[in-house]
Parts: sequence; C-alpha cells; structure tokens
Amino acid sequence: MTIAWPHGYSAAVVITVAFEAELAILAVAPDAVDRAKSLSVGTYGATRGVPRLLAELARRGTPSTWFVPSALLERYPEQVRAVRDAGHELANCGVALEDFGALDDAGQLTVVQRAQEAFRHRLGVVPAGFRVGRGEMSPRLPGALQAAGFAWSSSLHGDDRPHFHAAPAGRLVEIPRHHQLDDLPYFAFNLDPPIPAGSPRIAPTGDVLDNWITEFGAYRAEGLCFVLTLHPELIATPGRIGMLAQFLDHVHAQDVWLATAGEVATFWGEHGSANSPDHPVEVFHRTIDSTTV
Amino acid sequence: MTWPGSARSAVALAFDLDGPTGDALLSGAIWDRPAYFSLGGYGPWRGLDRILRLLAERAVPATFFVPAWVVEHWPLQCRRIVEAGYEVGHHGYRHEKYWDLSLSRQRAVIERSQEIFERELGCAAVGFRTPSGDWRPETPDLLSAMGFSYSSSMRGDDRPYVHPSGLVEIPARSEMDDYASFAYTRNPDWPSGGSRIASYRATLDTWIRDFDGYHAEGLCLTTIFHPKVIGTPGRAALLERWIDHMTDAGGVWFATCGDVARWWRR
Repeated sequence: MTIAWPHGYSAAVVITVAFEAELAILAVAPDAVDRAKSLSVGTYGATRGVPRLLAELARRGTPSTWFVPSALLERYPEQVRAVRDAGHELANCGVALEDFGALDDAGQLTVVQRAQEAFRHRLGVVPAGFRVGRGEMSPRLPGALQAAGFAWSSSLHGDDRPHFHAAPAGRLVEIPRHHQLDDLPYFAFNLDPPIPAGSPRIAPTGDVLDNWITEFGAYRAEGLCFVLTLHPELIATPGRIGMLAQFLDHVHAQDVWLATAGEVATFWGEHGSANSPDHPVEVFHRTIDSTTV
Repeated sequence: MTWPGSARSAVALAFDLDGPTGDALLSGAIWDRPAYFSLGGYGPWRGLDRILRLLAERAVPATFFVPAWVVEHWPLQCRRIVEAGYEVGHHGYRHEKYWDLSLSRQRAVIERSQEIFERELGCAAVGFRTPSGDWRPETPDLLSAMGFSYSSSMRGDDRPYVHPSGLVEIPARSEMDDYASFAYTRNPDWPSGGSRIASYRATLDTWIRDFDGYHAEGLCLTTIFHPKVIGTPGRAALLERWIDHMTDAGGVWFATCGDVARWWRR
C-alpha cells in the first residue's frame, strides 16, 4: 500500500545521529578505560566530529534526530546544547550504552528513566523517542516505554516504513533502521583492542556513498522511509564529511520529506495504517505468547 | 552439456526464505531478541514481495527453499510463491543443521515439514536444500527413499551431477550466496569477525562476471539468495540489473531447480 506522505512528498528521509564519544569504545572494550589512544577515537567524535557534523547539517538545513547517552550530557554539555540549540531532536538511548540484553525488565526501564531525568534536569528537554544503546531490548520494554509517555522507538529492522508495536504497546510508533544504512558497520575501526573483532579493512568511502545512493533511490521510488544512522567520530572526518555532503545534496534534490524521527512518528500516529497480522512484530508477539512460559 | 531449446547455459535462481529460523529459534533465545527476529521477519514480510514482483516483471522462474516454520507463520506470503507458479523446496522445519541430526530426526523433520507444505501450500517438496550446507553421509539415500528428486546443497561443481542414490545434485557456489557479501547481524554478530557489508556495485560486478563465465562454458548457475538480505529496496535493484544482464546475453535457459533436475535425469 502506498503511503501518502505529507505535502505530497514521494518518501521520507530521517537522518539519525548516534553521539556516543568514548562510550562506543568502552561498550566493546571496558578495559580501554585507561587506554588513551583507544579512547581518543571516541573523543574525536565530540571535539571535532560534532561541530563538523552540525555545520554540514546547517549548510542545507537538514533536520536530524540525535541519540545521546545521558552520561554525555555531563561530559560534553556544550556539544549537546549546540545540538539542541540548532533545533535538532534529542532522543533517549540509555545512560552509558548499557547492554540491554544483560539487564532484566526493571533494569532496562530504570536506565531509560534515569536518562530521561537527566535530559529534563540538565537540558530542559523531554525526549519522546528511544533507541536501544547496545544489545537487545526486552519484548516487554515497548509497553513500558508507551506507559512512560514515549511516542516512538527506532530499534527494529522488520520493515522499511514506520509501523506500530504490538499490543500492549499498540500506540508506540517504530521507525525501523537497517545496518546497511549505518556508518558504523562500514567505518568503525580500532587496531588494539581490535574493533571489529576480525580487523576487517575499512570500507572505501565512495563505495559506501554508492550503497546509500542505490538504497535511497529505491526507497524513494517505492515511497518508503529511509533512515540513516551516523556517528560523528566516523562520518565527520575531513574526508568523509564531503561524502555526506554529496549524499545530502543528492537527497535534497529529490521530492522527499526530510524530517526528524519524532515528526515521522507523529505523522504515523495520526495517519498510519494498523499493522497487518502478518507484520513481524505481530507474529513475534503472537508466537511468544503461545510458546513460552 | 545440452540445455532445452539449444540454450547455451542454464540459470536456476533460488532463494532461501529463512525468515527468523535458525540457531536462535532452535534454542529459543530468539524470544528475548525482538530486533534479531525482526531482521529475519523482514524476508517473508517485505523482501519476498519485492522479489516476486521483480520475477513477474521479468518473467523469470525461480525456486524458494522455505523452512516449514516460515510457511506456518506466513502462510499467505508463502502461498503467493506457489500461486505465481514458482517452486517451493524443503529447507528444514526451523532451519535445522542436518549434519547435527540423527537419521530418525531428519526423517521426522522432513515428514513434519511435508505435511505443512501439503496442508498450507497444496504440494509437497521434491527438492531439498540443506540448511547451512552439511548433512550426514547417509542423508542422500534417505532423501531418495523419501521421494525427493534433487538436492541443491553441495558446493563442489558448476553443473548438476547424480548422487549414488539417484538424487540429482544442483550445486551452488558461495560467490553466489548473498550472505557472503551483504548479511550483517548483531546479537549474535554475523560475520563473527565484523567484516564489512560489501560494496553494492562491486558485488554486482562480481555476479556479472560469474554469470559471464558460466554462460561462456555452458554451465548451470544457481543462487543462494535470501529475501531478507537481497530483498532490501536497493539490493533488489541490483538483482534486477543482474537479471537484465543475463537476459540481454541471450541463450539462457531460465528454469526452476526442479526443471533442471528433470532435464538432467533425462
């Protein structure tokens, strides 16, 4: 079924940013806490990446949604305020890139609420959206998020357009994302400790641009919701920022709705169609209810 | 080698519609991993439809190897495969590794899956592709005894051959497995070493060169494509360009794996 996007646009494009700084390294290698070189890979994202990325987004007035672990509100207050003051959306992804798979249901909700409190207290912002920082969220977390007042989540991969979560989280909108539209699987690299574990070669920048442009063209032709995920320490280098600029120039030249995840979620909440019973979230919840405990 | 209609080479496009089946479903761990489930669910929910549309537009036949658990949970989508005239083949119930299963367990998985195929799709499978590749040395005999006419599980040739049991084998190559280029998951991580998602344009170039070689030598090419991997909007566009390249080459017999097996047996 074709989606009637606002203002007659052909498709939606959501630029999301995962501002994680040193936490990205620490989530993979906790012993890097006193390894200055490895930490500096993430520090670069805060000191050089964020300003360069904000400048590129400002160049064409590109809206975006930033997922910031709340620990960074203390560590990098200037950067986070700059994001807020530039009009970008801020969203919750926990406190310090916790592995949600290692937390029980109550532990996951506690992390979300601590982060929410930090946003409210330090920035005067109440995020409406959530993306799991690392690991997997519990199948019960969407219900808890809805009850806590969240409007949307962006953690699943089962669709290429927004959808609702399954009951009892049936009003929570999901903005699904995909690994091939994320800079991390292509560009993340640290020599020692090795990240990724097998030390694969860094992907060629031009090839990644080609992948994204190929996917974007097909998303636009089909009228879908293209969700890109960027990490300041990876995309906002002197070389790669030009690739992002090329990509955004290409996107802005098309009749697509550039919006924040929150705007897309609001649209879907008002105009989105109900999930088919065959949607992966419905199949998951129907099956888990009939097969477990 | 001769192919029907004096065609120069044979191409049997094949897709493994795994959905969320596999190790995490077999162990039950998937019920704590909704995001991992969703990655698999994308195949029958979105990827399949995109591939069926493309095959219909280009009038190219194909075979879908489908774990019966996917048929049970997405029956409407799987019926569309059969209604469009394509072949469905056996691929386990929940993507069991046949190498790990006793022969009696293998028999039980096949019997259960064939019942589901007949009930939901109106036909049993005559073709077999081992989930994750390996089987027990006795498996080909079991498959022949249980009425299968062919397998597409091995990697050791670029043309069909016949197992001692009489089972036709239509071997595939890992270069033609989209997992090798594009698959990427977290929790569990795949590839285990975190290897990159490959360049789309370089992968299309590889597939074109592979086809050109098969075509020049008059061989039989089949694929190990997965709707959850090749069925994203952008990758389906690559698949379209690859099919167009093969069509433009002329002299290709596009067939289902079942058609290839029947031809080879003759």
